[in-house]
Amino acid sequence: MTDTDLQLKKFQKELSAGTVSLTLLAVLARAGEPMYGYQIAKQLERFGEGVLSGKQSALYPVLRNLEASGLLDSHVEPSVAGPPRRYYRITAQGSDVLREWAAAWRATRDSVDSVLEGLIP
Amino acid sequence: MTRTPSTIPEYLDQLRVALAGADPALIQDALYDAEEYLRSEMAENPGKSEAEVIASVAGSYGAPEEVADIYRDTEVTVNKALRPPPRPPRRSLLGGFFGVIADPRAYAALFYMLLSLATGIFYFTWVVAGASMSAGLAVLIIGIPFVILFFGSVRVLSLVEGRLVEVMLGERMPRRPLYADRGKPWMQRIVDMFIDPRTWSTMLYFLAMLPLGIAYFTLVVTLIAVSLAFVAAPLAVWFFGADAGISVDGWQLLNIHDDIVTTSLYPWSLPLLFVCGILLLFATLHLARGIGKLHGLFAKHLLVKSAAY
Repeated sequence: MTDTDLQLKKFQKELSAGTVSLTLLAVLARAGEPMYGYQIAKQLERFGEGVLSGKQSALYPVLRNLEASGLLDSHVEPSVAGPPRRYYRITAQGSDVLREWAAAWRATRDSVDSVLEGLIP
Repeated sequence: MTRTPSTIPEYLDQLRVALAGADPALIQDALYDAEEYLRSEMAENPGKSEAEVIASVAGSYGAPEEVADIYRDTEVTVNKALRPPPRPPRRSLLGGFFGVIADPRAYAALFYMLLSLATGIFYFTWVVAGASMSAGLAVLIIGIPFVILFFGSVRVLSLVEGRLVEVMLGERMPRRPLYADRGKPWMQRIVDMFIDPRTWSTMLYFLAMLPLGIAYFTLVVTLIAVSLAFVAAPLAVWFFGADAGISVDGWQLLNIHDDIVTTSLYPWSLPLLFVCGILLLFATLHLARGIGKLHGLFAKHLLVKSAAY
């Protein structure tokens, strides 16, 4: 792995630290129904590489931490195929936070975009 | 680089090895998550063999070593991002001593110590009643399901106590039940539950919670009552017209009889008493925080550590 690759990897990791929480909240808010970890991971996979610049296992600790901060709610349901599944749902507080985070994200994206504009690729 | 795992138990074993040395509570959660993902992937692709599914999972979920790294990292960064930052420690000795009044951890520990009388009685009764009924019913046919139910209930209680300890004492505890190998037949899983040292150390913890709970409760109530009385006696004399230096029925710190409040202390000693009461109140908070920390370690050791592979 070259030095540039390493730098890129490090940058992606730092970027995703904040955006993963934001996208998880957004996915659950859009779904409108409880989803379990694997479902969420596959859903994100459909949105493309950029959303989750790493492995899907990174989702689970984030889900758990979001739940611990009261932004998500969860319950366990038995399943036919495997272990009982933990379903997550966004809370009212989570929706409020999502609205603020989305606004912060858009503001950041716009200002970063305008700085990058006119830059040769 | 270890060889690619071909079965789910093998994958989980490698993950466990890769996580060796991490917080046992984190290991328990990581194994649970990985198992959920792998089994869901299996259910989604019924045509594929276990080895094929695991090979494809290395790309999406991550190989055991990668997953271990992600858990070590993500837990820390996300936790830091989502929780309010801890206050910087006070530098001065005086600030360190009196700063405890603003530390939520001290109050939570105080509350845990009061609550532990109730939970201690409950856990103790549950284990003693369950164990003796299991022994008594062992000769009957219903004895076997009863024993299994009882052991299962102890595991659930262990998770509940773990949540209490994490919320009130701040010690990271598992948030998911212990990973149980679902590939094994039912009988084997039941046997595993009996030979798991954690089941037994959990019962030991629950038995110890009765004496500990009584001790914690007594300590907190006594210290709070004494320090409040120390503060109240001088205030009663200075502002509410209570009499000092009077002994009714022997020496009394604070005597309330009908509507007359008296203290046996002489007026000159009251300021000293007041200061002692305040200091004792702060010292109690420090003590509660310290005991909370120790109890968290104790709980972790008996409820989680013995399961660290």
